[in-house]
Amino acid sequence: MAVSEQPPGPGLTNWLSEKLFHNYIWRSIFRSGYPSTPRNQMLVVATNVFLHLHPTRLHKTHVRITHTYCLGGITFFFFLSLTVTGVMLMFYYVPAADRAFQDVAALETNIRFGMLMRNLHRWMAHGMVISVFLHMMRVFYTGSYKPPREFNWLVGVILLTLTLALSFTGYLLPWDQLSIWAVTVGMNMAGTVPVMGQQQQLLLLGGFEVGDAALIRFYTLHVIGLPLIAAIFMAVHFWRIRRDGGLARPL
Amino acid sequence: MAVNAQAVSSEASATRPRREREQELLVWPDLVFVEFIAAMVFTFMFVLLSTMLDAPLLNQANLDITPNPSKAAWYLVALQELLLHMHPALGGVIAPTIGLAIIGAFPYIDRSNDGQGTWFGTPNAVKIILFSGAFASIFTVALILYDQGRHVNVITNVVQRSDKDWQWPGKLAPFQNVRSIQTGWEWSIPVPVSAQLGPGEHDGELNWPDDFTHVPMPFNGTSGPDWMRWGPPTFLPAWMQAMYWYDLNMNTPAFVVELFIPVAIMVILPVIMILMMRKLGWIHTMRDGSIGIFTGMMAVYFILTIIGAGFRGAGQDLVMPWDVPHID
Ligand code: HEM
Repeated sequence: MAVSEQPPGPGLTNWLSEKLFHNYIWRSIFRSGYPSTPRNQMLVVATNVFLHLHPTRLHKTHVRITHTYCLGGITFFFFLSLTVTGVMLMFYYVPAADRAFQDVAALETNIRFGMLMRNLHRWMAHGMVISVFLHMMRVFYTGSYKPPREFNWLVGVILLTLTLALSFTGYLLPWDQLSIWAVTVGMNMAGTVPVMGQQQQLLLLGGFEVGDAALIRFYTLHVIGLPLIAAIFMAVHFWRIRRDGGLARPL
Repeated sequence: MAVNAQAVSSEASATRPRREREQELLVWPDLVFVEFIAAMVFTFMFVLLSTMLDAPLLNQANLDITPNPSKAAWYLVALQELLLHMHPALGGVIAPTIGLAIIGAFPYIDRSNDGQGTWFGTPNAVKIILFSGAFASIFTVALILYDQGRHVNVITNVVQRSDKDWQWPGKLAPFQNVRSIQTGWEWSIPVPVSAQLGPGEHDGELNWPDDFTHVPMPFNGTSGPDWMRWGPPTFLPAWMQAMYWYDLNMNTPAFVVELFIPVAIMVILPVIMILMMRKLGWIHTMRDGSIGIFTGMMAVYFILTIIGAGFRGAGQDLVMPWDVPHID
């Protein structure tokens, strides 16, 4: 790709942009300038590691916001933001029954921006659950699960379950009355399953009530197990969208 | 030949693809721009929200102090609501699992291409959505109100104005709430004494509920003629023993209340709903039917969540939202 589409002219802005964007370091990162021709715009999408999730061009109904309401994208955005804020929370949080609550309380009072990070993580988690539901509804009501997208709908259902599981495991971590009782209620439901229930409960709690063992299990699932699985399924989800010929539209 | 092939291919590439191309936009800048704006808007919105609204943090966890009510996270509150009305395994695990399985099965049930890629793509889609949404919401609310039994208080109050001693008649117990079928309802039918085999009283009457609480399961090893009686299957591995219904007797009234009636309602109501819409001439394809079922499921989930989160107070009693106690 060409480095620049325009020859540098006189004037302060041009001088500035020359110094800022045409130096050795900048160009070692970004090989090209702003892609201003259709050819370069397609190339940038096809060659950039992040953008190449997309096709280079797409049908114009799919750019219209009212077709998708960006809901899948917003869910993904929440997932990414939750990873960032979650990592910050991990710096200060120790998953032990006698510390967890104090750590979260300290986050609110002793740590700069701690409260903001916790709030963001909490509200975005709720946001992700809502947006994944809405995304499912939009896919359903636009009939976008129809052939050849059956399997991607199934991948979506798995992602929905994973999203709920992520939220559920995270709910315990503040170790306050809200979290421990919500999880107790949830686990009691799981414990009533015939045949497998008790074992399942024991497996998740590591004991008979929500205690230290449960906290460390939920924590591990929440910060690495489930996000990893979710990320893999998201990769499959996005890949399948491309393989199925982009988003669904009338035949 | 060569000339022909060229004519065909040049025609193909000259007409159809071009029309396709004209419908297409470039991802950069058109889509990337929308994505960027959406990301910015949401970052901004949530940072703003987070500076204004703090995440809750109650007292430190303590398993000795049970908050009343203790509720699950809001997206599980719908299941918690179901627990109040049926067997916990059915409401908390089996029904939701089947629900999820049905959602997953839609593409395999509805394999047609009608309405693909357009909002509400079939002619009657909007009507079906409104009808099934309303149908599911109304019946969910009605069933919850029935099972809560508030109408019993209201009617008792009204009737007691003229007749001080009036009580809800035992014969009508099933109309109080579903649990009353098991606990508040008594009737008996005469049977020959010789036909009464069970462990209950052999008094020539079959009494509900007492004579129905210990009905032996078939092949439970401890009932029936001699050849059907045997010891516990200790030769099996433990997990298999746990699955075998040795010495199990069925509590029929509990079974009817906790499993049979709820399952029957959850099966029959959707069927009636679909049949009604077929009668109305709205449902012609699997797609139409799927829209009805999906919308109904979403509506039930939504209503259960609203009621569970906003209308359940201490002891999971049905109260107005402002009477739901704050937990700390
Ligand atoms: C973590 C959860 C999820 C993420 C991050 C996600 C992400 C996405 C994105 C970015 C798209 C592109 C179109 C759009 O934005 O609407 C998409 C499409 C799609 N999603 Fe999801 N999704 C998730 C969950 C689900 C669920 C729960 C379902 C259904 C049960 C589902 C089914 C589909 C299908 C079938 C498509 C193709 C739609 C079409 O062709 O128009 N996804 N998803």
